[in-house]
Order: sequence, then structure tokens, then C-alpha cells
Amino acid sequence: MSTAILLLKNIGKIFETEELETHALKSINLTVNKGDYVSISGPSGCGKSTLLSIMGLLDVSSSGEYFIEGVNVTDLSLDQAAEVRNAKIGFIFQSFNLIDELSVFDNVALPLRYHADKPNNATIKKRVIECLEKVGLSHRISHKPNQLSGGQQQRVAIARALVANPAVLLVDEPTGNLDSKSADQVMDVLDQLNKAGTTICMVTHDPRYADMARTKVQLLDGAILQAPVAKMVG
Amino acid sequence: MNLFCYQLKQAYLSLKQKPIFVLSVVSTMGVTLGALLCVLTLAYVMLIKPLPYPDQERLYNVEHQLISNENAIDGRAFTYPNLMHLYNQQSLFEQSVLMYVDGGVITSLPSEPMVAISFITPQWFSLFSAKMAIGRGFEESEKVNSYNPVAVLTYETWQNKFNGDINVLEKSLTLSGNNYRIIGVLAENNIEAPLAGAGFKTELYLPWDYNSVSERERKRWGNDDSGLIYVGKLNKQYAEYSKPQIDQILTKVVNENWQSKVSGHDFFKNWSIVLETQTLKSFIVSDGERSVYLLLIGSLGLLFIACANIANLFVSRTVERQQQLAISAAVGASKAQLFRNILAETGLLMFAAILLAQVVIFVGFSVLQYYLGDFLPRIDELELSAFSFSVSILLLILLTLTFSHLCLKMINYHALNATLQSGGKGIGIQVSKRVRNILISSQIATATALVFINVVLYKDASELVNQPLGYQTNNITSVVLALPNVESEIKAQKLTALKAELLAHPKIKKVSQAMRPTGFGTLALTASETDNRYTVLGKDIDDQYFSMLKQAIIEGDNFSAADIKDNRSVMIVNDIFARKLAPNGSAIGFKFKNGVEVIGVVKSINMPGIQRIDARFYYPASLARNMLLIDQHQGQIFNRDEMIEVMKSVDKKLSLFTFTSLNEYKDRRLFSSVTTAVTTLVLAILTLLLSGLGLYGILNYSSQMRRFEIGTRMAIGAKGKDIVSLVFKDNAGALGIGLAVSFIVLLVLYLGFSDSLSAYVNVELLPLFILTLGAISLLSALACYVPLRPFIKNPVIHALKVSE
Repeated sequence: MSTAILLLKNIGKIFETEELETHALKSINLTVNKGDYVSISGPSGCGKSTLLSIMGLLDVSSSGEYFIEGVNVTDLSLDQAAEVRNAKIGFIFQSFNLIDELSVFDNVALPLRYHADKPNNATIKKRVIECLEKVGLSHRISHKPNQLSGGQQQRVAIARALVANPAVLLVDEPTGNLDSKSADQVMDVLDQLNKAGTTICMVTHDPRYADMARTKVQLLDGAILQAPVAKMVG
Repeated sequence: MNLFCYQLKQAYLSLKQKPIFVLSVVSTMGVTLGALLCVLTLAYVMLIKPLPYPDQERLYNVEHQLISNENAIDGRAFTYPNLMHLYNQQSLFEQSVLMYVDGGVITSLPSEPMVAISFITPQWFSLFSAKMAIGRGFEESEKVNSYNPVAVLTYETWQNKFNGDINVLEKSLTLSGNNYRIIGVLAENNIEAPLAGAGFKTELYLPWDYNSVSERERKRWGNDDSGLIYVGKLNKQYAEYSKPQIDQILTKVVNENWQSKVSGHDFFKNWSIVLETQTLKSFIVSDGERSVYLLLIGSLGLLFIACANIANLFVSRTVERQQQLAISAAVGASKAQLFRNILAETGLLMFAAILLAQVVIFVGFSVLQYYLGDFLPRIDELELSAFSFSVSILLLILLTLTFSHLCLKMINYHALNATLQSGGKGIGIQVSKRVRNILISSQIATATALVFINVVLYKDASELVNQPLGYQTNNITSVVLALPNVESEIKAQKLTALKAELLAHPKIKKVSQAMRPTGFGTLALTASETDNRYTVLGKDIDDQYFSMLKQAIIEGDNFSAADIKDNRSVMIVNDIFARKLAPNGSAIGFKFKNGVEVIGVVKSINMPGIQRIDARFYYPASLARNMLLIDQHQGQIFNRDEMIEVMKSVDKKLSLFTFTSLNEYKDRRLFSSVTTAVTTLVLAILTLLLSGLGLYGILNYSSQMRRFEIGTRMAIGAKGKDIVSLVFKDNAGALGIGLAVSFIVLLVLYLGFSDSLSAYVNVELLPLFILTLGAISLLSALACYVPLRPFIKNPVIHALKVSE
């Protein structure tokens, strides 16, 4: 039996201004199980990124309940949410969001610096190198992000997302800023990680990459268009 | 030209959309530039502008120094005979003016007003190029020893005391029983040379012969009088002489004669006279020079902080305009054209600021004239002038170019196009971390140094304001009477009768026949046994004085009524003088060569606004003394009219010269300290506020630039405190450098001006310095924290969004 890593129950999100109320998400129900590779796709403005932000505890829902590994995280304080993000979630952003002043090593090590367990430097070093090896960039450890290509930067971002052993990787348009060759390389890395057991939830508007996921979720106007379709594997 | 007009119009329309930005820039720069221009104009008038008198470079003031046998300067004022000898015998000056200032009551006018009088020699009018509204000034007919009783009114006196009476000439006025015929009125625009201090404004001019120095004092070679003033215009043929040469010649004229006159006095054995000249201009501004430099430093510091703040606003504004600039660049605007675009906007803002500054200057001049007119010379000459206008234009150009250049430096012209393609994440316009750190450090260094200096001055001034005086001032009024010119015995009878009448008044508790507690003269004394000489401050009082003022007698006795009545040779000394007279024992019984014996020791008093306590002594006042202290019952106010009524009931010829409460005297003496305390406190708070705003501006901009980094860090698990700690650590270096620079600046200031500053600097300042560092550090911490609040107190997505 599959174990639910992420469970969203009737999640809604309303953006309010003085004159306007926009329902960005409407009663979203979604389960992401351990080892899943879920793609969320849909047209621009359909609420993909908003949904991913709520799943990543970057934003809060207006209604509904949200569970991560069975724990209700709907109403966490900002600091509690930070701890959960650090321990359970790995983020990969469209624009990489690497910190230019830090080396590749320091960028990847960053989540461990904020980790509750406060790992020592030797542990951090070991873990960072492991992750960089996974994405094939252990030879770029001392480089600064701006000395790397876009594809390499995104792979560093993947290593950073993996470093704290998260329960799930949340990936937002990972190929949006890449050429097709680099994009393919990044998607290969994600595919390999999933095959090795990493749970991935990815937002993409590229049908080719959405098809690589085992479960596809289609969003339209803030609602799931149809029940998640699981792709037959093997 | 058309393009620039178009750009000006566009800049105006663009600024109209940003009223808060415009208000911040124009108000901050307007007020700061106004203050600076005020002080610069003041400095120009006092330090650079020539005096408004013909051949002003040849005008000299002569200082008379009495040099003791220990080669110390014992006095800096003329003795009357020496002054007259110099006037009659010197040949260096082609014109000489003697002046003596005093007050008097015009008894011929129904209101019997007290007026400030200058007794002058005739050449005063030509030396100072005095213009007449009507009549004439003093001439040969009013030369020294002519005793021609005439008077010249100032324009204000003519208007205010004589209602501008067109027929005032040939009318007479009465002062101290003497009648003077009015022969002229000075022109309205006449600028009086402030020879007797900035606060003294002459109301009436009388010939020198009638000055109030007594006949006895006119013959005393050893008693100096600070009211005696000598100004001369150097003969053209001596214009090349150096100052030491001039001083030497004048000294010779006076000293040789003086030595022969005092040769019979043991006291002046081995004493001498030195005359020292000073150009009239530097003599007039001497006391105010330090204040002007302090004001200049303060206003330049404020301008620096304001510029740093406004630079931050311009940085933010340029970031805000990057889309507009990028579009301009994309459609073909060159870097020079972008500069003109920025120049137009900056120029408009600075122009508005300069206009506001003119209003501030105008108001500032009035404020300076009202509050500092008694303290700073030539302040009446402050006006919007070619100087203030030229400096305004210069500042306008300088600031416009500086801020425009700063904005242009931020623009990476080649990256502007990328701005249009990158969703506006700010790659086209950046301020380097180095520039940001320099801005932070300089802001902190300036603020710390200025706040500390102001706090030190505030502490010093407030200590002076709050120091206990050691005598009572509440409910006591000091009265000076103008007595008719009669024998002393008759005066004494009148005053005894007046005292009795006053004591019978239901509002009055006590009367003492003495001058106000702060008034002293300088007298020379020689110890009878040791021949030790003392030049000490002394005053004459009666037996009621100490008990009325609650000044404690700590040893020996007070004067008895008989001591006063018989004018006995006794004195009471203060504890400072007592220690000088008898360092290891009691001063009671100490005798002086003039036969005076010490009978009591009284606790010293503090002069309001002065920290130093001098040796002083008190001796019996004559019963004819024309000064009274009146102690009123609690809650009772005995006013000037009631005083006049009592006086007239005793003798219609008695006139009231001054009627002033001791609290008013105290407030006048403390005015400078109170002004300093208030000004420094306001400046310290203003500096903290301005630098707080400036630091907030830089750090806010810095946080905005780092919002993606902050968002990313938070997305991967950083908590609010982690972000705060990160930003604090990042800025700690700049803060440390700023504090270190401020310490160095203060140290350099101290080492450079140790003579002037040693009075202020002591170990007690250490807590103040630590407090200042603490305040600046706290301010910096707040300036770091406040811009972060929106990021750390909201869901992370706010920081990660491209635009808010």
C-alpha cells in the first residue's frame, strides 16, 4: 500500500484586493505518495505555481487542510513552517535561485546550515559531495554560480534540494530558463532521482516533460480538471 | 535645447506622480541647505565681509594690558589717565576715537526711559562714516574738554522716545540733572560698530567730557575700567608697519609715562603697561569666531547626512525608473541622453530645494538676529545678498551634478536591454556592496561624531544651567536708582528714607543696599604682613545682604549695622579667597595695608553660566549707594510702577534706572547655556533621526536587492531569526568601520584643538561615548531589522515574487 507524503484536502486560495477577489485555487484534493513522480500542468494563470507554493509551505491556503507525512501543517507558524520546509521539502526553482556570492559548495550546503540537527562540518562536506556527485558536478565545487551554465546551475539547485534528504522534491518549471539540451539533462537527473526512490512533484507547462511523470494532474482555472491520471510503468 | 525642455517637462510630469519622493527630497534638502546658507552667510559677514566703514583695513582697536610683576596679564582694560595720555600724545593714528558706554534715565521725558549711552569724541562720526537724518554730529565744538552739553539721537530713539518729532533739534533732554541740547539724529541705515559687545545698542550719543567715570577715577593710574574703548585709524604713512612695530610704539608712549606716574606706589613695582593692537574687524568678531566655526561644522555635518539620505532616495528612484530607462535605451537613447534625462529630474528637485532654502534663510536670519543678536556681532548685517544667491546657485549646480552622476554610475547601460527581458529583476541597475558599505560607514561615522559632540556640549551646558548658585533669586528684585547730583550725605538721607518707605510696604519683606549678587569690581589689595598682592573681585554690601540672599557665613561674623553706618575698615571674604589668605589656618583677623581686616568668611557663590569660582570679598557699602535689593513676600509682586510711586513719595527727583528681578538676571546669564543645551539636544536628535532615515534607506534598498536571496534562504528552511542574524552580520563590518572612523575623527579633533577642548574632555565622557555608540548601534540594528520585517513576517512567497 502506498504511503501519502502529501495530502491536500479541499485546498482553496483566494487573492483579495480592495476591489477584487480572485479564486486562484478551488477545493483542490490531491495525494502524493512516496516515490511518486507527479506533474502539474495547465495553461498560464491556472494556479500551478500557487498550488506548488502552498504544497511547499511558501504560502498559506485560504481554506482546506494540508498534511505532510500525516501531520497537519495547515496552520503552522512561520518558524514551524521553515523547519518543515527544511526537513521535508526540497525546492527547485525555474530561475535556480542560487546565491551569487556563495560557491557551489556553500549553495548546496545551505539547507544543512539551517537544519535543526546542526550537523558538523565533516558531515556537511560529505553530504554535499554526495549530492553533487549525484548531479555530476562534484568537480565544480569551488565555482561561483555565475561561472556555470544554466543547466549546471539547475543541477546545483537540484543538489541543494536533495542535501537535507527531503521527503519530496517540489519542482517549479525546472526547464523554463534552459535550452533544450540542458533541459533534457536536468529532466534526466530528475528521472534518475525518482527511479532511485525520490518523490517528485513538478509544475511544468511543457507536455513533453509532463509526460515523463507517472502521475499527471491537469489544472484549469484553479481546479483539477480531471482525476490524477497514473501512467502505467513497465 | 528643445529636447532638454521636453526632458524638463517629462521630468516634471514624472515627479508629479511621486509626491512623497518629491516632498522628502525637497524638504530635507531645502531645510538643510537653508541652514547651511544661513551659517555660510553669517560666516561671510563675520569673517570675510569688510566692515562698512571707510579705510576699514586701517582701523585698529587698542587693548591696554596691565602686566604684573610676575609677568602675567592682570587686566585688559584701560585706566582713564592712560587712555587720555594715549589720545593726546600718540601720532600713529590720523584719527582717534574714545568711547565709554553706560546707561542713563532721561528724566525730562514723562516716561523717564532708561537709555544706552555712548560717550564719544567728535571723530567718531567721520571714522565710522555716520550719516545724519537731521542736524549734525559732534564737531570741533565738542572736542575733549570743551564741555559742550549737546546730544545726538539714534534714529530709533528719535522715533520711539521722541515720536519722530521733526522739531526735535534744539530741544533739550535731561540726564542725571544735566541738560543736553539735541543737535542731530543719525540716519536710519546707520550701522553701529559693536565696540562694546554685540548686545550693546546705543540709543543716545553724548560728548566724551560727560562720561560717567568719576573725577576721582579719572586720576587713578592703577584702576582699569572695561568700559573705556580706543579705536584709531592708522596714518597712511605707517600702513606698512608690522603689528609688533605699532604695538611697540604705542606701548612706549603710554608705559614710560605710566611708570613715572606710579613710581611712588609699591604695589606697582616691576609692573608695566603693554598696548596691543588688533584690527577693528578681528576685534569685533573675536568672541563670535568660535561659535561660527561650530555652527559651520554642525551645518556641514547635517548637510553631509542629508546628502547621504537623499543619495539613497535617488538610488531607489533610479531602480524604480529602470524600466523607463531601459525602454529609452532600447529605442536609441545614448548614455549622454539618459544622463540629461536624469539631470532634468535632479535639477528640478534641487531647484525646488534651493527655492525652499531661500525661505529658510529668510526665516533663519530673523531667528538668528532675534536670539543671537546679543551674542554675535554684525548679525544685523545678515540679508539675502549676492553672496547667498551665488552660493545657492553654486550648490544647486554642484548637488544636481553630484546626484545625477551617482544615478548614472548605477546604470549598466549595456545591461539595460536585458532588464526588459528578465522580468525586471534589477540586473541593469545595481549599487555595489562596496558603495553600500561606504554609505553605511560614512553615515554611521558622521552620526556618531556629531551626536557625541552635541551630547558633550549638551552635558556641559546643562550642568551649567542646573548648577546650584548658592544664593536665593526668587522674589528678589535688583534696583538701580538715578540720584540727583547732590552731596553724599543728602543722598544717604534720601536712601535711608526710601529704604524705610519700602520696608513699610506690605509686599516687601526685606531691603538690602547692594548691587545684584553677580556684580563685582576688581580691586587691588596688599597684605600688611607679607606684602603679598592680590587683585580680587570685590563689592560693597550692607548688613542685610547675606541673610536676604541666604548666602551662608561659614566663619566669623556678618557686618553689623554699625560697620555700615560708620563705614568701618572690615571685610568678609569668600572661602576661596580665605584659603589664599590663610592656606593652613583661619583668615579671620587677616589685615591689609589699607587697614581693612577680615571679620568673616562666606561660602562662595556660582555665577550663572560660569563654572569657575573666583576669589571674592565684600566690604561695607556707603549709605549713599544707589543700588538696592528688594525681597518680596511669597506670592507678592512689587512692580516698577509701585517702586516709582514709593520713590516719588520720598523725593520727586529720584529716578529709577533699572528694576530687574534676580531671576531675570540669572536667565540672561544662562541664555547662552540654555541656547546651547537646546540647540545641541535638537541637533543630536535631528542627527539621529536623519541618520536613522539614511541608514533605513540604504538597508531597505539593500534588502530589496536581496529579496530573492532572502526568499530562497527562507524557502530552504531559514527562519526569521536566521535572516536577521545574516543581515546583521553582513552589516556589522560597515558599522564597525563607521564607529572606528568616528573615534578617529574625534581623536583628531581633540588632538588638533586640545587647548580649546581640554575643558570638555575628561574620563566622565566615557559613559557618554559608550551611550552614543550604543544609540547608534541600536539605530543601525533597527535600520537593519525594519526593512526585513515584511519578508520575515509574511509567507515566503512574498519575497520570491518578482514584484509586490
